[in-house]
Amino acid sequence: MKETTKKRELLGRLYIVMVFVVLTALMLFGKAVKISVIEGDRWRAKGDSLYLKFMPVVADRGDVLAADGALLATSLPFFEIRMDLKADGLTDQLFAEHVDSLAWYLSKYVNPNFSPQYFRNHLIKRRAKGDRYLLLAKDVNYEMLGKVKQFPLLRHGPYKGGLIVERQSRRAKPYQMLANRTIGYVREDVQPVGLEGSFDQYLQGEAGKRLMQRVSGGTWIPVQDLSELEPLRGDDIRTTIDIELQDVVHESLMQGLLRHNALYGTAILMDVKTGAIRAISNIGATENGWAEDYNYAIGAANEPGSTFKVASMMAMLEDGLATPDTRVDLEKGKTRFYRSDMYDSRMHGVEDTTLRYAFETSSNVGIAKTVNELYGKTKNADRFIERLKSFHVHEKTGIEITGEGTPVIKEAYSQKDHWSGTTLPWMSTGYEVKLTPLQTLRLFNAIANDGKMMKPYLVSEVIRDGKPVRQFGPTIVDGRIASAQTIRTMQDLLLGAVERGTGQYQKTDQYKFAGKTGTARVDYYMKDAPRKMYQASFAGYFPAEDPVYSCIVLIYDPKQNGYYGSAVALPVFREIADKCFALKPEYTPPVNETDEARPDGELVFADVREGYRTDIEDVLEYIGVGFSTTRDGEWAESGQEGELMLQKKEFSGGEMPDVRGMHLRDAVFLLENQGVTVHCEGYGKVVTQSIRPGTPIREGVRIDLKLR
Amino acid sequence: MNAISIYRNLKGDKAIWIVVALLAVLSVLAVYSSTGTMAFQYRGGHTEIYLIKHGLIVALGLFLTYISYMLHYMQYSRLAPLLMIVSIVLLVYTLFFGTELNDARRWIEIPGLQLSFQTSDFAKMALIIFVARSISTKQEVIKDFNSAFLPIIAPVLITCLLIAPADLSTAALLFVTCVLMMFIGRVSLKYIGVLAGFGIMGIAFLIVIGTLFPEMVRLETWISRLNEFFVNSDGGYQIQQAKIAIADGGWFGVGPGNSIQRNYLPYPYADFIYAIICEEYGLVGGFTIIFLYLLLFLKCVRIVTRSPKTFGAILAMGLCLNLVIQAFANIAVSLHLVPVTGLTLPLVSKGGTSMLFTCISLGIILSVSRYIEQASKDVGKVEIKDLNADHH
Repeated sequence: MKETTKKRELLGRLYIVMVFVVLTALMLFGKAVKISVIEGDRWRAKGDSLYLKFMPVVADRGDVLAADGALLATSLPFFEIRMDLKADGLTDQLFAEHVDSLAWYLSKYVNPNFSPQYFRNHLIKRRAKGDRYLLLAKDVNYEMLGKVKQFPLLRHGPYKGGLIVERQSRRAKPYQMLANRTIGYVREDVQPVGLEGSFDQYLQGEAGKRLMQRVSGGTWIPVQDLSELEPLRGDDIRTTIDIELQDVVHESLMQGLLRHNALYGTAILMDVKTGAIRAISNIGATENGWAEDYNYAIGAANEPGSTFKVASMMAMLEDGLATPDTRVDLEKGKTRFYRSDMYDSRMHGVEDTTLRYAFETSSNVGIAKTVNELYGKTKNADRFIERLKSFHVHEKTGIEITGEGTPVIKEAYSQKDHWSGTTLPWMSTGYEVKLTPLQTLRLFNAIANDGKMMKPYLVSEVIRDGKPVRQFGPTIVDGRIASAQTIRTMQDLLLGAVERGTGQYQKTDQYKFAGKTGTARVDYYMKDAPRKMYQASFAGYFPAEDPVYSCIVLIYDPKQNGYYGSAVALPVFREIADKCFALKPEYTPPVNETDEARPDGELVFADVREGYRTDIEDVLEYIGVGFSTTRDGEWAESGQEGELMLQKKEFSGGEMPDVRGMHLRDAVFLLENQGVTVHCEGYGKVVTQSIRPGTPIREGVRIDLKLR
Repeated sequence: MNAISIYRNLKGDKAIWIVVALLAVLSVLAVYSSTGTMAFQYRGGHTEIYLIKHGLIVALGLFLTYISYMLHYMQYSRLAPLLMIVSIVLLVYTLFFGTELNDARRWIEIPGLQLSFQTSDFAKMALIIFVARSISTKQEVIKDFNSAFLPIIAPVLITCLLIAPADLSTAALLFVTCVLMMFIGRVSLKYIGVLAGFGIMGIAFLIVIGTLFPEMVRLETWISRLNEFFVNSDGGYQIQQAKIAIADGGWFGVGPGNSIQRNYLPYPYADFIYAIICEEYGLVGGFTIIFLYLLLFLKCVRIVTRSPKTFGAILAMGLCLNLVIQAFANIAVSLHLVPVTGLTLPLVSKGGTSMLFTCISLGIILSVSRYIEQASKDVGKVEIKDLNADHH
């Protein structure tokens, strides 16, 4: 073959290939034009957003935590399981092979009401109809989901097995009613409530996106293997709520409401130094029993009554117009301003006395007359109002929860505010003004905190993936709302109100607390009300010497067993305070604290004497006293041989035991087990017993114990 | 200024250089658009990372183009046997020990570096160089079975069979490329016909293997793709989305970065990048792409006509055919002319090794054009003995 022929052959073949390539290119051109121009409208219509769209995937909501991390509100996941019977990878062969066993599993584990035969027919029928979204199970929990994912067919996943898992979640509050309203909720089409509402932007997280395709029947199914945006779980918020204290406050308030068959009540426990709210309870009587139906503590601005005398008193002191020793005539309990009478809570017969006495016994006449004398008669009511405002009583606290009640403090001589000749004296006793319980508490807390007013707050931090991303600390509203002198006097007066005044029947030797009762007639404008309605309250703080907590208790419309703040609200306050001390021993001042070291360096052993062995051991370990024990027997007594030693103590049945040196609980346990009826007086340990130890016991005999 | 002086100093076919440059620019634009899916925008946008990464790869690729262009193409002929052996070893290794990604073993990890390497990209080039060398050296006996056909076809079959289990499309493309090279290189039509039979037999063989060892061959994927193509006249979900993209683009497109369909198309930056280009730049953009590849091909045809039978001409044509067929196959997928193949658009799609080897291929083509250009200019001045051993 010649070179030229070879060359021609080669080039000839090259041109054949070239023609093919060029034709292919032209075909590509043509097809592109066909799709874009000729079929263009059809494809564009198909690309309509109705056909495919991104749908939000709701993120898991963050948790609301108590101060110690306990879950106050959390989201429990559950799942809906569906099946795409026309999934791309679900071939006829695969389906036919496994439909029987899938039906069997569905009948056994998902819904035993239907037979495997039923499920089998159902699956086959729906597949024939092209169902791409067949519901298999609802409300499936995590554990069950794991099982379902192992079912025949479904175990092949979304593409081959047609498995569609839709995650949903339900909000749960493990502590149920505790602080329920304050934790709140977010629901569709309803005004959000509580912390869930105000921290929604943190809690809700970021919704993800998933591409969904509309299939026959108008349902949307997720499109597989495309960029799917995972939702971001919401942040957690840590509240200042102490779940133990919350329980105490709730329980105490509940008892109070039951005792007095009241309409509603609220109680707040606040950390004096920081303004952190440790517990907040709102309980109302509803058709379905007691419930946290409204945030009375934060939302309800009412006439506070006598607790407001604190503001009046402090104004007079701060303005230098009066001292606790200023004289005032109580006119035996009734006076008259213009055409209306003002009464004290009862006719007491007291006339000339001090302002201190008037405050501590909560005399309306005494406070109103003095305020009227000092500001009203001199037409200086505006000065009084200005002074009150310097205590921030006209401001909202700015608590994180929306819907805080607006305080009402009338402007002096303002027509608009319906200022009248009787406004000033009534105002000084807590009428014609409105405050929410939280706003009142903030004022008391400032007094407890030596004049430094703290902003109440409920949320201490926002947590993402276990790490705090935002922190909220204590906020000072006003470093000093009044002079140190005034604050000291107020503290003294509030202590006096408990020690000598309206609170005296609830005072205790265990610790000192200070506060002010409030009894407000709610329906005083109804002259002929068949039954007078009251609001009983008590606001105060404890321990009085170095306050740790401030607390307000308010009970609205008590219908039985009294209505005074001292009789209705104060016992609840006492119970809360008692339990706080019991729960938090670190707040109890040591009883035997002494600054002096013993000169001889001798050890003083705790005076344990005898008792239930394991209890003694627990207590000694807790307070860190070294001791040795035989760890033997139910009862033990102490001996001292260089160190504290517990020995086994035995009581022989039928003989009167020696309970001297025991605590009451142990003594009662021991004696009543022997059929002895116990009567006792005093507190502390048993010092005398009326029947000599060793005496044979007769059934039903009575013993008197003296404790000290 | 600088660019112009570089351009002036570049030898080789200027049109090919322009094709390379334009495709590289388009690649950066299209990849930027198609990776900027809603998901990324929504999360504060990390598209820049893809842009930078892709930009760096393109830059590295162009650098490699330049390097391989600077090298005299006869060097590749010398290296061919070695490359061929290395390629087969690597392919065997990949088939058994490669990294599995999306159900297919196509990658090997480069120890030390955290890079993966698609062996078939390397094998493709090695084989084409080797076949070009065989065809050109055996021109005298090219019609013979034992001394020409068999030595040429054996490595082709071995390589393609090793690539096929994990990547049938690439294997088929490579096979077709080699057959076309042999066709142009004057191998007897009789044997070419037999080869077509071989191709069919090869596929049949793979189906048998796939049934016996389902783990090794992605039979299911092929079947579902073929099924989709032949059963559904509108195409499957992906194809429909691609068509919507093309239709949305109209003549002039919706503009760079405005693609909507990129959110609905799987691998919009690879398999379906042509649809995205059509959506954003319209049919005009789509035609430009096809035209650029066609231009590349025609320029290579010109190289062959100038210097037929030489190693350089066959090599350039082989590399070019591989690129252009792959490009057209990719485009044909988006246009619903062939079933989904998984082939990328050379030099445009996002990708690491494939982009780099495409660039090297183009560099080799340019090297060939450069020396052939020079040789034709030198005609009549000095008799230059072609480095190739064959006789005119």
